[in-house]
Formats: sequence, structure tokens, C-alpha cells
Amino acid sequence: MPTLVCTAKASCKKLPGLLELTDTHLQWTQDGKRAPSIRVSFKEANSLFCSKEGAPQVRLKIGLLGNDVGHNFTFTSPQPVASQEREKFKQELTPIIARNKQLDAKPPILAAPQPVPPASVAAAPLASGNAPRLPPAVAAAAGPSFQSHSRAASVAAMDRRGTPVITGGDPAAEFRLRKKVLMNNPELGALHRDLVMTGQITEAEFWDGREHLLLAQQAAESQRKGKSGQLVDPRPETVEGGEIKIRITPQLVHDIFDEYPVVQKAYSENVPQNLSEAQFWQRYFQSKLFNAHRASIRSSAAQHVVKDDPIFDKYLERDDDGIEPRRERSEKPDLFVDLGATNEDHGELTVERDITMQAGRQKGALPLIRKFNEHSERLLNSALGDLPPIKRRRLDDGAEVFHQIEIEDLQDGESSNGIVLEMADRQRYFEGGVAGSTNKGAANGQQLDPKAIISESRNSLSDWEATLSGLKIERLAGDSALRSMTQNVAARLDVRSKNNDIPIGIFTQMTTCQTAANEFLRQYWSATLPQPPELQTAATATPAQRAAKAVKMIGYLAKTPEKVAAIVMQAQSSNVDAAKVEMAMKPVLESVNRAIAYHQTREAASIQRRK
Amino acid sequence: MKFYIDNLPIIFPYDRIYPEQYAYMCDLKRTLDATGHCVLEMPSGTGKTVSLLSLIVSYQQFYPTKRKLVYCSRTVPEIEKALAELKRLMAYRMKCAETEEERQKEQNFMGLGLTSRKNLCINPTVAKEKKGKVVDAKCRDLTNSAACEKGRADPGSVELCDWHENLGKLDPGNLIPSGIWTLEDVLDYGREKVICPYFTVRRMMAFADIIIYSFHYLLDPKVAEQVSKDLSKDAIVVFDEAHNIDNVCIESLSIDLTRPMLDSASRSIVKLGERIEEIKTTDAAKLQDEYAKLVEGLQDDDANADDEDVVMGNPVLPDDLLSEAIPGNIRKAEHFVAFLKRFVEYLKTRMRVLHVVAETPLSFLQHLKDITYIERRPLRFCAERLQSLIRTLELNRLDEYSSLQKIASFATLVATYEKGFLLILEPFETDTATVPNPVFHFTCLDPSLAIKPVFERFSSVVITSGTISPLDMYPKMLQFTPVVQETYPMTLTRNAFLPLVITRGSDQVAISSRFEVRNDPAVVRNFGSILVEYSKIVPDGIVAFFPSYLYMESIVAAWNDMGILNEVWKHKLIFVETPDANETSIALENYRRACDNGRGAVLLSVARGKVSEGIDFDHNYGRAVIMFGVPYQYTESRILKARLEYLRDAYRIRESEFLGFDAMRNAAQCVGRVLRGKTDWGLMVFADKRFARADKRSKLPRWINQYITETASNLSTDMALTLSKLFMRTISQNPNENQTGVSLWTLEDVEKAQAKQKELALQAEQNAGSDDDEYGDGGLSDNALMDFDLDV
Repeated sequence: MPTLVCTAKASCKKLPGLLELTDTHLQWTQDGKRAPSIRVSFKEANSLFCSKEGAPQVRLKIGLLGNDVGHNFTFTSPQPVASQEREKFKQELTPIIARNKQLDAKPPILAAPQPVPPASVAAAPLASGNAPRLPPAVAAAAGPSFQSHSRAASVAAMDRRGTPVITGGDPAAEFRLRKKVLMNNPELGALHRDLVMTGQITEAEFWDGREHLLLAQQAAESQRKGKSGQLVDPRPETVEGGEIKIRITPQLVHDIFDEYPVVQKAYSENVPQNLSEAQFWQRYFQSKLFNAHRASIRSSAAQHVVKDDPIFDKYLERDDDGIEPRRERSEKPDLFVDLGATNEDHGELTVERDITMQAGRQKGALPLIRKFNEHSERLLNSALGDLPPIKRRRLDDGAEVFHQIEIEDLQDGESSNGIVLEMADRQRYFEGGVAGSTNKGAANGQQLDPKAIISESRNSLSDWEATLSGLKIERLAGDSALRSMTQNVAARLDVRSKNNDIPIGIFTQMTTCQTAANEFLRQYWSATLPQPPELQTAATATPAQRAAKAVKMIGYLAKTPEKVAAIVMQAQSSNVDAAKVEMAMKPVLESVNRAIAYHQTREAASIQRRK
Repeated sequence: MKFYIDNLPIIFPYDRIYPEQYAYMCDLKRTLDATGHCVLEMPSGTGKTVSLLSLIVSYQQFYPTKRKLVYCSRTVPEIEKALAELKRLMAYRMKCAETEEERQKEQNFMGLGLTSRKNLCINPTVAKEKKGKVVDAKCRDLTNSAACEKGRADPGSVELCDWHENLGKLDPGNLIPSGIWTLEDVLDYGREKVICPYFTVRRMMAFADIIIYSFHYLLDPKVAEQVSKDLSKDAIVVFDEAHNIDNVCIESLSIDLTRPMLDSASRSIVKLGERIEEIKTTDAAKLQDEYAKLVEGLQDDDANADDEDVVMGNPVLPDDLLSEAIPGNIRKAEHFVAFLKRFVEYLKTRMRVLHVVAETPLSFLQHLKDITYIERRPLRFCAERLQSLIRTLELNRLDEYSSLQKIASFATLVATYEKGFLLILEPFETDTATVPNPVFHFTCLDPSLAIKPVFERFSSVVITSGTISPLDMYPKMLQFTPVVQETYPMTLTRNAFLPLVITRGSDQVAISSRFEVRNDPAVVRNFGSILVEYSKIVPDGIVAFFPSYLYMESIVAAWNDMGILNEVWKHKLIFVETPDANETSIALENYRRACDNGRGAVLLSVARGKVSEGIDFDHNYGRAVIMFGVPYQYTESRILKARLEYLRDAYRIRESEFLGFDAMRNAAQCVGRVLRGKTDWGLMVFADKRFARADKRSKLPRWINQYITETASNLSTDMALTLSKLFMRTISQNPNENQTGVSLWTLEDVEKAQAKQKELALQAEQNAGSDDDEYGDGGLSDNALMDFDLDV
């Protein structure tokens, strides 16, 4: 069942109705009607436009893939509510559209909707003018679930062992996953329609052996988009009249607060008592504080436009451009990367480095460099959680130290267990082996005389030059090989040059028949053959169930020749070269026959055994 | 695995061995047998340390002479790694031991690492200090014998260090069980048993089979005198990562004096004077005692000094140590103080000069004598005399006297050496500066001076590194004759690294860090686009090195303004080396986290800087290294100019040759950090058009140079990217062919190689012995064939 994310009263084409956002679709239902008349899947959404803040009508326009006209909705609730509602929709839709745009070129496997990132949740109250929520609170709220998510989704080298476990207890979730897999994979969807919906095989059978698709889908869904790496650097735009304009979006506000806690502090202390929201931002972007935050050489050029500001200058900190950082870090790094320890290893240097090698002489660059390091660390912590390094290290086991110095390729690789080879008539093979070894034993019994061997080989080698010059290679073999290769190339050329003259209708029938047969075959063999040990889970079917399934599949398979015959007939009736169709279906028929034959011998064998 | 070289059983703690490692061990053994010195260059990341330790430990355990190993490395991370390597080796040997006796022997083996008090202190009141100097001083206050005596006689009267006191209660030769102790282990043990890790190591050094510490403990006479005095002559000395050993030698004998230092020294002199007056009234006998002792001579005094009592080392080399008595005119404490005062005042006047002065020690001494009547002889005893005075006065907080100590060292050095040194006064920091900030450099020009006693004293000195080409440079500079001098190529079944030389950007503008063009926007942008493009295609970590801090800092700012870094942020996180070591370490840890996590990161740092030494960027920590520019030294430096002149005059090493050699060894050192083992892979990008020149490339170690193809030696950015992509696609495949036998030997391969070698030797002998064999076909003789143990 799709869950509703948000709803609002909205009109479309001047008809009143209800706009709803579910986790997969945006839909609009006209008042009085039951089924939604507009239904936009997230995958189709391509662009989003809004009417200006403060415009008489609160509008939202959504553009579709390949159809930029899209749909126009007007929010009909009374004023403050309408814009809030619109804001809500906008927030939900923006990440979806951004994702769609990103994935435009790629196949839409990843385009499935994802849980809304908490970042936008945090930004939501800001827009409505409430006191901003602290980011740590968000992180904490997302804490436990986030941990488990990142484990499953992470492609990190360290976490390779953690294979995700399918959510067994929740059928609704699994159903949702299946649906998504089918939607993302049209061919599989068609097969599902053909086989499961017609009742030929059950849903469970269909998914048996396709768990990896579900797992992949689940992993893809639980993978959250991380924070973008870029630094927060609002670029002012110049509009006519020499005015400078900076667009403030909730996202930008959130980023600024995240990056510079001091601005957040200023915000919470001054808005709305001393300054209005708009005033706050206006004065911030003109303040020295903002310029200090930009921390680039470029900002020194803008120094003269900066005004003194009694409120913001309070928050101004000294430039962090000393040799030692202003912010003291107490944690002691791992001894393997501890550069400070080397500095202290032997008394102070008695000589100074030359000026090019004295670090920190470019005062202007130091705050920037520190900002980079801090920003990177913050990004990492936002993804990995910020355990202090000591604790992090304690999580590793003691072997970590040796692991860092070990050279792996000098170790003898542990050989894998291998797969046991199952053969028919194993007994006979061993008999043969035994016979061979006894023969060998006889040969070993009589002592080999190295001298004799050497002299023998020397004799056989004598006169080798003459033999070599006498060697002639038969021309015939070379010729025939060349001929066969030429034929092969010619045949391929032939095939390529010929048009595919099977009509579409018959061709689709052929493909359907073939994929269905393939599916039955897959089901049959997976029910018959022994399962690889690593896939054996608690949910595996019992032998009896498997046998029943195999019988059922054979039943279906037995009908395949009929179907093929029908297609051939049809081809004949529509004047298509039937031989060609037959030829095309031949491999399918062969494998079907093989399966049937195998089944019959097995049956016969088991009957005999029972006797 | 266990195999034999000649008769020596070697236990190597892996199942396989690289051919290089085997060859390295053979050559090392040759050196030890011949009791001579050697220079060995072994490709980075092919397990140099483990081969070295494995051979030497086998050697020590096999021969009854038990030669001690003194293993010197450059940085604390390297020392810790070597200790971990040794610990792993010993654990493996224990496992291999066949008899109980052997096991016992392995168990009794002891290896220790030594570093400064700052790194080993666990007394919280002392360890919290940030500066090593202060930690040293505070530690001395709590542990010197006078304080201890007082404190033990009357508990509570003097503050003592519990950790140090507890040590005294233990059996002197048995402070710590035998075995291998990494620095971290010793710290943990000290915390657990409440004993001082620093003094535990210092006192157990005499009992250890292997000591691992930094170069300075052997090369810097001030430290060596305290720490390494008692090492026996037959010890094996190894300098690992020795590519910069000449700089360490020079630094340890050079001193820079500044105006603030002289001011601080003056203050210390006043304080000394006051203290002398005070002692005179309270305990005049003490000063009398000292005077009497000084008349007798210095040597006896030294003999009974404890570790804790050494207040400062003598900067003069052991063989210059004087056995004569201290001259009469500085024997009396107040006379000596007056003498120091005069000397400091003289130096202050010299500092007022506003033009550059360069002079030899002799001319300095002459001028000093003319002005102040200070003679050379008392000046020479300055450091010794100050040490004695400080001890007599029982001064506390010695860090406050450090400037004075430095000046005393300076006095002693300047009065001792005539050749190989130069005094340079630079009144301004840069050519453009207008405010004087004078520095008086007393600079050593000859690296062989500091290392000479080491070569003379120890029978086997091994100098080894991943990048020590050209090999003959080191014997020339350090003035010794090696018995073995070898470099090993890297055997690879497939090229595990790809060196590329980028000479121009995609826009065909030549790139170079040459001073005239380095700030040219086109060059800066082209350097930037190399970083951007590589951050797009290379997985995990990228390390970029710049030739100097100054250049890195300016280019980072420029890149930020040009928006280049914004492009990099899209693909990777950015970390930058900062002036503060601890801050950089934290950035490094985060860099590694980002590489482990898959986010990927770029680390910007400086060749010859903090990060370029001792930190490995193996596997995912460094899939590409980019060398922006040739890391030349700052050629405008007067000290460098003086050194170049000296090298030319004394050793016939041309200036340009030395500069090129020095730049290339540092570049090679930086790029060599990416490899560890032969399955590891990495790109090495040299971005400067000067790298394309043959004379530059020939100075790279052979193992790198052999893999630079003609096409890869002159590329534009886009061509380099194409090659890099191709390389990464192929290297990421599973290697099909088996490395074993070619670049990886099993025990059988080793034995095969040995048999072959024996055969060749035998044959050579035969050839030498019998003349009639000269025209043989060079193949195997029938006899040799018959000796073969045919395996049928």
C-alpha cells in the first residue's frame, strides 16, 4: 500500500481537487471523483517551478520527462497555509527531481524513491520562521537506524563481510521491493506478467533464486545520498544598479549553520528579538564575519565594501593563522602516523629551515587550509559518525598493528575448499585409477638407469639437424584450416547482410515462448540440482517440495514443443520462412528435451530403487 | 620459511620471498662477514626492513659473538614500524624453534626502542607539557641524583617522580622482561607497573640485543655522548631510510643564533650570577669542591655522572674530547659568568651589522680576540664548564637556560673546528625585508665530520634506503669506503606501477615549478587540471607533493580562487599539511578514514616536509602520487651556496650535479611511498617539463627509471590520462600469470638459485684453474650433469 507523504487542497485546470504525494507518485484527484485523474510517477518528474513568494496565487508546476508543459497546480487553502503546503511539496519533490536529473543518462535502476534525507527535515522549520533545530539533534534522531543502514549499503573495503539480510518478517516491505524490482526491470516485469499473473507458477517460485535482485534493490534504497563535498560559498550575483544579490535557500541556510556554528549562535541570539530574518541575512553578508568565513585571497579585494557591524563583529574570531591551530586538539594520533612524536624525538632543531620551507608563512592561506581539513573531517563524520580516534582504534583488534606492516603477497594464500566434483560412475573412475597406478608401480619397480636414459636420449637426438631439415609440414591441413576460417567469416557476413524478415508479431511470440521456457528450465534445474552451500538458508524448501516443483515444471516444459509447433504453423500461414523459425527455436527445444529426458531417467531410477 | 645462506640458517617470517630480498640478504651477510661498511639501495615497499632484521637476527642467534644491532631510522613512525616488524619476526622464530633450548634462546632475545622523554613520559604532571624541552627540564628536576638524595633522606621535602623511584627498587638488570618491546608496549608496561618507560629503556639498553632509535642518537654528538657512549665496537650499525643522512649530519653540528636568543642568554647569565652569590653565602664549600675537581680534570667527573645528571651534551665529537684540565681563567664560577657575559655582548654587537657577513671560524676567533681578548682555549671548554656549573648550583627548570646552553655549544664548536664550517650573518630574513631580524648561522658544510666517529668506531655500518642513487655519491660525501655497494632492480611479473612524466598541459603550455613561471596563471591552472582530472579517475587516495611549503600555500589559495578546488571537492575530500605536526597527524588519520571508507581523498603536502618522511601511502591510501614540480632546494639560500662551494672544492662534486641529485632523491622518496608489496599498484606522476631531461631521470633510482618508457617520458595531461586509465583497467584485473618463481620465490626457488650460484662459482673456479677448458662450449659439463640428483 503506498503511504501518503503529504496532501493539500489544490486546483488543476481550474477544477478543485486534492493533491497528494505518496512515496512513489504525485497524484491529483478531482473533487467528487474516486480515482486520481493525474498520476505522475517520481521517475517521470523532471522539473519543478513555483510562483514567487508573495504572489497572489500559490502555484506549483511540475514538468515531466519529455513533456515540459507538465501540470499546473494552484494551492487553494487560505494564504499562509497554502504557501506552507507548497513549501512542503517542494521540499519533498526537490531531492527526487535532483536525483532524476543526475541519473538521466544512466538506466533507471537507482531511480527508486528513497527515504527523505534528514537534512531537508531539519531545514523545514526554518522556512516557517521557527527557531532552528540544532543539527546534532538531527544526527541523534537518525542515529540508530543510520548505523544499520550504512553498514548494509556501504561499499567500504572493511565492511565487505556484512552481507545484508533480507527483511524476512515484513511481507509488506518485501512486496514493495518486488514491485520496485519489476518496475525497474521491464523484461522481468513482462515475464512476471506472463507467468505469475496467469497463475502458471507462484509468486514464491518466481522469486526463488532471484533474491539477489531484491537484496540489491534494498541496498540501493538504503543507500543515502551523502552530503555534497563542496564548501559552502554563496556566490553573489550582480544585478543592475550595482547591487549585489545573494539568493538564500533553506538548504543554504542549513549549510551555513552546519559549517559555521557561530552564525547559528548569532541567529538564535538575535532573531527575532534584535533583527528580523531578512535583516539578519542582509547584515551577515555585509559583515566582516562573512568575509572571514569565505577565507580566500579573493575576499581581501572585497575588504573595502565590508561594513562594521556592532552585532556581527561581536562574533568575529581572530584569524586562525598561527603556526599552532587556535582550536586545541587533545587526541593523540596513532603512533604510525604521529608526526608530532618525530618533532619531539630529539632535541629542538638548532637550525632554521630556509624561508621556502618554513610552513605557515602565507598567513592568508592558513585559515583556508584549516577550513579544508575541518570541512573534510565534518563530511566524514557526517557519514561515519565521529568516534574519537582512540575509541575507533580500540574497535580494531590487536592484529591491526601487524596488519599494517605485513606484506600480503609473501604469505601463502590459503587454498579454498573447492567444490566437490560429482560424477556418474565414480566407482569406475577409481578402478581405472587403481589399474593405472599398479601399472606404474611395475614400471617403478624396475630401477631406472640415468646413464641409460641419457645415452638413449642422446642417440635419439643424434643427427637431429638432418631430421629437422627433412621435416615437411603437410599443406593440406593448413589449407583446410584457412578454408574453414574463410567460410566462417563468409557465413557471418551473410547473416549480417540479410534482413531480419520475421514479422514483429511472430517475433514477440517467439521471444515470449523462449523466455517462458527458460524460466521453467531455471525453476526445474534449481529444484533438481543440489544447492550451493552458501545459499542454503532457513527458508529452503524441503526435498519433497522440491520434487513436487520439479514435476510441475516438467509438466509445463512438456507443453513447450506444442507451443513451438503452434508458432511454426502461424509462421507458415503468414508466409514466413517456417524453417527459420524452427531453427531459431531449436536450442530451446533441445534444452527442454534434455530436461525431460533427464527427468525421465531419474524417475525410472528412483522407481527401480524403490523396487 | 627457513633456508641457508652459506652455513647461516635464516628464518624469514613469510612463506615466500622476493628475489630482491634474497639478494639483499646475501649482500648484507657479505658485509657483516667482511666487517666493513656498505651502501644498499632496495626498491621501496619490497620489505627492506624485514629482510634486514631477519638476516641480522639470524646472524646474532647463530654466532656466539652476539654482536649488538643498532638500528637507526628517521622518524618515530618508522621506529615504531621497525619494532613491530621485529616483534612479528621474533614471534615467527618462536614458532619455528624446534628444541626447547632454541625456544629459550629466542625468548631471551631483547629488542628495545628509544625516543625522547616527551614521547615516553607517563607522569601526568610532566607529560602534559607541550614542549619537549620543558618535559626534559621538569623530568631532570624530579630525577637528578641530588634531588633524589634529598627526597629519599627526608620524604616530602623535594618532589620526586614515583615512576622513577619505583624503578630504583627493581633489580637493575631486570627492569623489564626480555622480548621485543615497541614504544607503545613499553608505555603500557610502564603504566601497568608504575615505572618510568624512558629510564627503563635507557638502563636496559646495555642488555638489549637490538636497539632501535633515531639517527640523532648516534650522529648528534650532544645526544650521542649521553646515550650511545657504551656501545661496543663490534656492534652492527644500520642507517635505514638513509637518503637524507648528510643533512642530519650537517644539522647536528650547525647552530643558528638570533637576537631573542642572545637576550634570553643574558638574562640567564644574570640569574647564574645571583645564584652564585647566594650559594657563596650559604654553601661556599660547594663551589670550592667544584673548583678543586676542575683542577684535576674533567674525565673523572664524567665517569660517575648518572643518566639523570647529564644536563647537556658536549657538542664536540668523542675523539676531540679533551683530557686536559679546564683553563684557569674560567675555573672560578664568577669568572666564568663574567666570561660568558663578555662573549654574549660581543655576539650582540656583531648582530647589529646591517650587511651580510660570511667568515671562517679562524677569522671569527681572531676578531673576537682583538676586541674582547677572549682566547680560543677557554672558549673550547665553554660547554663543559657550563654543565659543571649548572650541576654544582643545582639549578631547576633548565629549559630557561636553553639559549645559554646553545651559545655555550656554539662557543665550543667554533673554537674546535677550523675546516668545514662557515659563519654567516644574515641581517634580513629576505632580500625585500626592511626590518632587520638578524640570524647568525654557524653552519657545518661537511657531512663527513659528524659521521666520522661512527665509521671509525663501529666495524659494520650499513647505509640503506629505497632511494640512494647515484650510489657513489654517498661514499664521496661521507668519506668512507664501502665493501659492498649495490642497487637492486625490481622484478615484476606485471608492471605494478606506472611512472609518467607530464611536461605540458592539455593546452600544450609547458608546466614547470621553475621560479620564473611557477606563479604564471597558465601553469597554475595546468597543475590544477592535473589534480582535477586525476581526482576524477583514480579511486581512493591521491597524494600530491609540492616543492616547498611556500609554494603549496600560495597555490592552494590560488586554486581556491580559480574554482579548481571546487571541482576536486566534487570527487574527493581535500586534506592539506599544516605547520602544526599534531594537526597534520589528525588530518592524516582522517585522510586514511576517507580512503578506507571509499569516499576518497586528496592529500596535499610538501616534499622534504613532515609527511614525506615516514608515512606510507600503500594500497588504497595512495593510488596515485603527483609530484608538482621538481623539489629543488631554495637556491638563493646562502647556506646552500656555501655548501655547494665546499662540495666543489673539497670533493669535486659539481653544484648542478648535487642540486639535481638532491632534488631527484626527494622526488623519488615521495613517489616511492605508494608501494608496499608487489600486488600493490600505483601511479607516479612527475609533473614538470624538467623531469623529461635525461640528466634528471638518470638520477632516479634504477627500479623507477627502468619502468619509464620513452612514450611516457614526455606527455601532455590528456595523453597521461589516457595512459593512466588504460593502466588502471589492466591492473585491476586479476593477475592471470603466477608470480611465483619470477618475482616471488618459494623455498624451492631459493634453493634452485643457490644451486645455480654454486655451480657458477664452481665453474668459475674451474675455468680459472684449468686453461684448456677455455675453449669449451660454455654449457654444462658431463660431470656436472652426472652430479644432478635427477628427480624422476
